[in-house]
Amino acid sequence: MTTIDATRIKRQHTSRLRRGDLLSTLVYFSVAIVLAIFLADGGAAYFTNIRDLATGVGIVTGLIGSDLLLVMLLLAARIPFIDRTFGHDTALAQHRKLGKPVLYLILAHMVLLLIGYGISAGLNPIAEAIDMFFNMEHLWMAFIGMALMILVVVTSLVIVRKKLAYQFWYLVHLLSYGAVLAALPHQFSAGMLFADGTWARYYWMAFYVITLAAITIFRVIIPVALSLKHSLVVSEVRVEAPGVVSITMTGRRLNELKGKGGQFINWRFWAPKLWWVSHPFSLSAAPDGKSLRITVRDLGDTSHRLLTIPTGTKVSFEGPYGIFSESARTTTKAVFIGAGVGITPIRAMLEDPKLKANDATVILRGTTEQEVFLWQETYDLCVAKHASLRVLVGKRPPGVATWLSAEAYSSGERLSTLAPDIKHSDVFICGPMQWTDLVVRDAKRAGVPDRQIHAERFEF
Amino acid sequence: MRARSAFFAGAGSVAIIAIGWQAGVGTLVSSLPTSAPAASGTTASAGTAAGTTTAGNSAGAGTTGTTSNTSTSPSAAAPAAPAAPATGTVADGTYNGQTINTRFGTVQVNAVISGGVITDVVAVKLTDQGRQSVNISNQAAPMIRQEVLSAQSAKVSNIGGATYTTQGYLMSLQSALDAAGFTG
Amino acid sequence: MSVHSFESMGTVVSVRLGTAEVNSGSETHSEESALTASREVVALAAARQAFDALNERFSLYRESSEISQIARGELLLSDSSERMRDAYAQALLWREATNGAFTPHRPDGVLDLSGTIKAVAIADAAAAIHACGFTAFSINAGGDILTHGIPNDLATGAGDSEADANADADGDANGDADGDADADAENVRGWVTGIVDPQNRTELLSVVTLTPELPAMATSGSAERGDHIWARPGATNDFLQATVIAADIITADVCATAIIAGGQETLNHLTEQFEIAVLVVTASGELLANPRFPALVAR
Repeated sequence: MTTIDATRIKRQHTSRLRRGDLLSTLVYFSVAIVLAIFLADGGAAYFTNIRDLATGVGIVTGLIGSDLLLVMLLLAARIPFIDRTFGHDTALAQHRKLGKPVLYLILAHMVLLLIGYGISAGLNPIAEAIDMFFNMEHLWMAFIGMALMILVVVTSLVIVRKKLAYQFWYLVHLLSYGAVLAALPHQFSAGMLFADGTWARYYWMAFYVITLAAITIFRVIIPVALSLKHSLVVSEVRVEAPGVVSITMTGRRLNELKGKGGQFINWRFWAPKLWWVSHPFSLSAAPDGKSLRITVRDLGDTSHRLLTIPTGTKVSFEGPYGIFSESARTTTKAVFIGAGVGITPIRAMLEDPKLKANDATVILRGTTEQEVFLWQETYDLCVAKHASLRVLVGKRPPGVATWLSAEAYSSGERLSTLAPDIKHSDVFICGPMQWTDLVVRDAKRAGVPDRQIHAERFEF
Repeated sequence: MRARSAFFAGAGSVAIIAIGWQAGVGTLVSSLPTSAPAASGTTASAGTAAGTTTAGNSAGAGTTGTTSNTSTSPSAAAPAAPAAPATGTVADGTYNGQTINTRFGTVQVNAVISGGVITDVVAVKLTDQGRQSVNISNQAAPMIRQEVLSAQSAKVSNIGGATYTTQGYLMSLQSALDAAGFTG
Repeated sequence: MSVHSFESMGTVVSVRLGTAEVNSGSETHSEESALTASREVVALAAARQAFDALNERFSLYRESSEISQIARGELLLSDSSERMRDAYAQALLWREATNGAFTPHRPDGVLDLSGTIKAVAIADAAAAIHACGFTAFSINAGGDILTHGIPNDLATGAGDSEADANADADGDANGDADGDADADAENVRGWVTGIVDPQNRTELLSVVTLTPELPAMATSGSAERGDHIWARPGATNDFLQATVIAADIITADVCATAIIAGGQETLNHLTEQFEIAVLVVTASGELLANPRFPALVAR
């Protein structure tokens, strides 16, 4: 039994790796293709003398910058293929990593071309900018797009973002679509790289069309369609512990809702003062075809209102997303480590029929006993799966950066003692950000390979 | 990314770029004589990669001394005047010139050689009005006086200019010519 | 080559006559000369007549001309002669073609066809000269030039008849058998023609070769009819002078006039619209030329 299981998991893992490689390769190829388009149009000529150097580099940076910008949009488009391969949070992390480089590339594009074309026309860059602004079709829109982009990236810088309300930041971020659309026409009209009749034009158009179509389909159309199809309503709100409730929802054709334990969903509850926010919550029980359940903790903000949500409230959703689930398995053994509300996806994963007996170790963490919610359910599941369960209650030891409780720490417990087989296990970690980072650090120190560490940090 | 895939991605990317490079090289002239560039001095720009003498210049290269204005006249390629070629070394025919990039678009010029002299420079890759690039194949562009200066003044038989009156004629060059050739 | 000139339309017309088509060749040499001379007289008379006839009808400087009668309102355009109406229609067509830069209507409402009439006169005169059998000749009417054929000798006109005689004997059209040192390939291509510098009328801006493909050259300037420079009413101030080389003299003349009147925009429009070679002197003294022009410069 274990051998068959191992083969299945290995095959699943290899398949996921292959998909990942394919996507990465496509990104590299996309950059290579724009460079090839540039060269095929005789672009090498720009680099043969100093004066055209600025213009040449300006064009190249623009090409690569907008190519990667489209990649960024695709990463955030919630395309199922990408989600199944990398996981939505990894995709978003990559999206964020590309933000500043893309901005620099496009800024360089603008500045260098103003310099380069300015030299050719005998104008200083500012005069050149004014000349282009008024005389070249569509360029005024490109300038506006540039301004929007700068605004978007600046507000997304961590240091600025912390100071902004999430809603405000989100609205500003949506302006990036405006930036992309504003900059779109000038790419086809100014400069002849994408001239009428060239294959490059069709390629570039197709790239844009596919990207915008993907965004429209996967971020708007499908979520709306699914919400309408399943027509979720709140059926029960049960208090698990002070400040913690489980919300159960029923709807139509829930058996058709594809989802795995551990995945999360963006929820929007249509109740006063709740409808303008969407919350990401993991299902706290694997979808059983009849209802969906989430377990929510009061974090002091809008989630406070969730505790008193009336039954019958309509719910729309986006998802399920994420590979914090059985899909991410690479090996037969598993260790689940959860803290606070991070326990919820773990508890859902424990229900997965593919999880075999004796293969799992579960470690739960909470400052107080009450914080280890769903404990009873988790306990029952562990018994059923013959999984070993350790619960660590209590505050951190003062002055030590560790994820363990003071008691466990002082009695010498470490990951390797709590889960002796951890090196050969998939480690699923879910909890508050900083805590999760500490667990990941310890897992790496314990010799767990990167591919076996699956962390879900709650931040969106 | 796994090592093997990374290698494939890298190799594939290089291949794609190489194909683009090759396609671009195909538009560069390799057979025109590398005679002295036209006296305009503007061919010092992108036109020297393959020793072309007549390929159009990059954006605004022809605007020597004139400031760019905001009219519809583009500061785009002014084809250099045909240089005095080394006669007898070049076969007659049409040569593909370089692809020149201007901010109004890409232009490719062909040079027509006949009898060892460049007789025509034709822009072949044009952009059309719809995208705010102007058809430069026939447009007038700035030209330096040296380019149109000729040493053949002595052989002139007629002189054109703005209309002169009878009075003006008497003081014009044409009257001098006529007097010299007048056979009564 | 013989050079002749006569006055008409307020300016001087210079005519250069080259070879005339020779007949069976049975005449003696003196008969030849006499024949040529009388041919020339007839041709010149015909040319002059072409100018005078048009001048009589279309000159606004002549009180009795048909166009002056129309200007005074004594004659309705609809009642005017067929030639007048044809000329008017032709001018209107050119107005269309140049998007209004060239127009036969003066700002004060008077119909002024002088823009086309001189060119028509040159064309008519050329037709007349050609009908007399001349295969190579040029007409320069006040700075607008129409050529025909290719001059088979140089401006010096030396040894013309002899060369012709030799040519007859050998049955060879080009009489360069005496090996004139200057008869190199370039000059045989067409008429070597200078373009005056508007800022210094004793200097030449350029020298071009007018060929059978592009035999006509017209120049229009903001300095007209004399050394004084005054702006034409309605003209823009972009250009000092525009020289247009075209396949026919009327196109060249109208385009040159239109470019001076309409400025840069008209220049762009016409260079695209017509197969012309253009050399323009801007108000700041700089030159503009379209790609066809440098190919015509005589080197």
